Amino acid sequence: MTMTPEIIALLMLDALFLFFAIIAFVLSVRIFVKWNRHATTPVQYALEKQSYLVSVVIKYIFVLKIPLFLFFIFTCDKLSNIITGAMCAAGVVNSVEFGLYLTLFKIINLYLFGFWLIVNRADMQEEKLPFTKLKFLLFSLFFFPLVAEIGLEISFFASLNISKIVSCCGTLFSAASTSYLALLFSVDSTVIVGIFYFFAALVGVAYFLKNRLVFIFANGMFAIFAIISLIVFFSTYVYELPTHNCPFCLLQKEYYGIGYLMYSTLFIGTFFGMCGGILEELTRRSDVSFFTISIIFDGLYCVIVTLYPVVYYLNNGVWL
Amino acid sequence: MKNKINLFLVEYAINALLRRGWKHFFIVSIFTFLIFLLSSILFISDAIKLELNSTLNLLPEITLQRFVGGKQSDVPIERMDALLDIEGVSRAIPRVWGYYYFKPAGVNFSVVGIDAYEPQYKEALQSIVDTVDVKALENKHGMIVGEGVKKVLSENYYKDFFNFVTNDGRWEKVHIAGVFHSAISLEANDMILLPKKIAYEIFGMDSNHATDIVVKVSNPKEIPMVVSKINLLYPDMRTITKDDIRVSYQNIFDYKSGFFLSLFVVSAFTFFIIVYDKLSGLSAEEKKEIGILKAVGWSMDDIIKEKFYESFILSVCAFILGLCISLFFVYGLHAPLLRDIFIGYSNLKPSFDLPFSVDGGMLSLLFLLSVPIYIGATLIPTWRASILDADEVMR
Repeated sequence: MTMTPEIIALLMLDALFLFFAIIAFVLSVRIFVKWNRHATTPVQYALEKQSYLVSVVIKYIFVLKIPLFLFFIFTCDKLSNIITGAMCAAGVVNSVEFGLYLTLFKIINLYLFGFWLIVNRADMQEEKLPFTKLKFLLFSLFFFPLVAEIGLEISFFASLNISKIVSCCGTLFSAASTSYLALLFSVDSTVIVGIFYFFAALVGVAYFLKNRLVFIFANGMFAIFAIISLIVFFSTYVYELPTHNCPFCLLQKEYYGIGYLMYSTLFIGTFFGMCGGILEELTRRSDVSFFTISIIFDGLYCVIVTLYPVVYYLNNGVWL
Repeated sequence: MKNKINLFLVEYAINALLRRGWKHFFIVSIFTFLIFLLSSILFISDAIKLELNSTLNLLPEITLQRFVGGKQSDVPIERMDALLDIEGVSRAIPRVWGYYYFKPAGVNFSVVGIDAYEPQYKEALQSIVDTVDVKALENKHGMIVGEGVKKVLSENYYKDFFNFVTNDGRWEKVHIAGVFHSAISLEANDMILLPKKIAYEIFGMDSNHATDIVVKVSNPKEIPMVVSKINLLYPDMRTITKDDIRVSYQNIFDYKSGFFLSLFVVSAFTFFIIVYDKLSGLSAEEKKEIGILKAVGWSMDDIIKEKFYESFILSVCAFILGLCISLFFVYGLHAPLLRDIFIGYSNLKPSFDLPFSVDGGMLSLLFLLSVPIYIGATLIPTWRASILDADEVMR
């Protein structure tokens, strides 16, 4: 186990999150079980007050989780300097078997907590607090992935062995690798890029048709294929190297940290697309602003990733 | 999402802070001090790491040490020929050097042997050697010393010569022929340069042995191959590459600042409790204020927001203040007292400037270590204050 300042900071904040999340969890379960909007008992009155505490705590956790996610990747990037073989965060994340799951949990939790917050907002806007029971049920469920993430993160840093030789991203993200990632490379990249643009177009069509379900579905698939096509196709144009397919090196300063911009736009776009859509399904009220934000950021992401190959082609006259 | 910042609430929060300035003064000063301490330590450790890494670039690619029974011992010089035969090795230089313990001052000098026609393993050293006539030094039986050494010696009345005590107990009188100033003062301060012949005498070493051998490899990509060849040729030699040293520097400094940070976690926790406790005890006046606010129509959400703005402004101000003080302390005053933690307490402590090394990563680390903790500590007291009922507190 190595104790760099960055790791200590992450672990300390994890401990803080866990402490608050447990309080919020206990209160959520209680509110979910005992909530009765029509009651005029002191219990109901106290519960209403406690619901504020839960939402404050969750806001606190979520607002910190976004920079912490980037900070986590930054820490892994920095650790790659001292771990033999690692050249970017990919090697460090993969040096522990569950490193990839940890990253996955982190991303999923961002979506879940963000979703909780917009449900909370919708709830507070209505006088009758119609979603209170629902939102506390949701948090009681979301608590478990959060605990899983914190647990994984602690054991990730605990089992990080700096003297172990790890693979660099060049071998992890290549057709020769033995993991399931190799599966991606067995498919022709033009097919994947085609699917990516198909779903991007579908998002646009669904926006103009105002079809909520298609919009949610298209955004979900868009998020998945955006990542896959980024690994298989677009990243090579960022690096201008046909063999380099790493989604983490994008974040390094050699490439002007373009990855931070790409991932933020992709996250914001798909988050509002999916969660905003689901929220509207729940509230039966249409709020166009979610979809507009979503389409703007999805579009921005498309423009950024498309520019790289196009500019490369214009400069060199060939495709990679 | 229309989560606009309510400027009226911000204004109210600032006014509330100013109205009760003295109550917050205590908290802000402790918090500023904590941030100051934390950021100073991290700045110093980063700056020293940077300084060491910059000297590292000047070092040869591979250093070879011979180990006998787990202890370092001298290397026979005839091994040089075999080393030079390895493809890719552009140069191999035997070094004669060691530490000489000077009892009256309780310090160690680094004694380095130099030779007239031999290139030095490092450019900085070469530039010093170029300025002196080694042959003349040999004839005069003289040495040149670093500034720190000169100072220690003259304090002990060795103005123009020094008596080394050799391994077999004889006195070896060496004249001080000159003092050198080096750009890389971190290591040159305690250095004594003298002809190899004298160095062999002082250490009582066999003259066909060397302390270690440094190997230069022109193409950095060939280093692992050269290392494996050397290991095969001489299993008793330990190879230390530049990369090994860089990793160990990183580890040492991460360990040192990590150790400090673990202590910091304890004080941060204490601070958390203090803030929690301080904010939980609302005075009658504050309770009344909340009661009035609620009576005029503020919701719980508004009060929580206003209190959040208060704590956010407070903690960010303390953060910026602490950061500025520590920037001045570390880079303006060169961190008196604190940097001894990292350099050690030898009397020949080198004096050097800390190179400026503050980046976004460091700032975000400091921010994440301080502000979220303060705001976290205020969450529950804030909520407690906001749930007060108007009629109860105003009664």
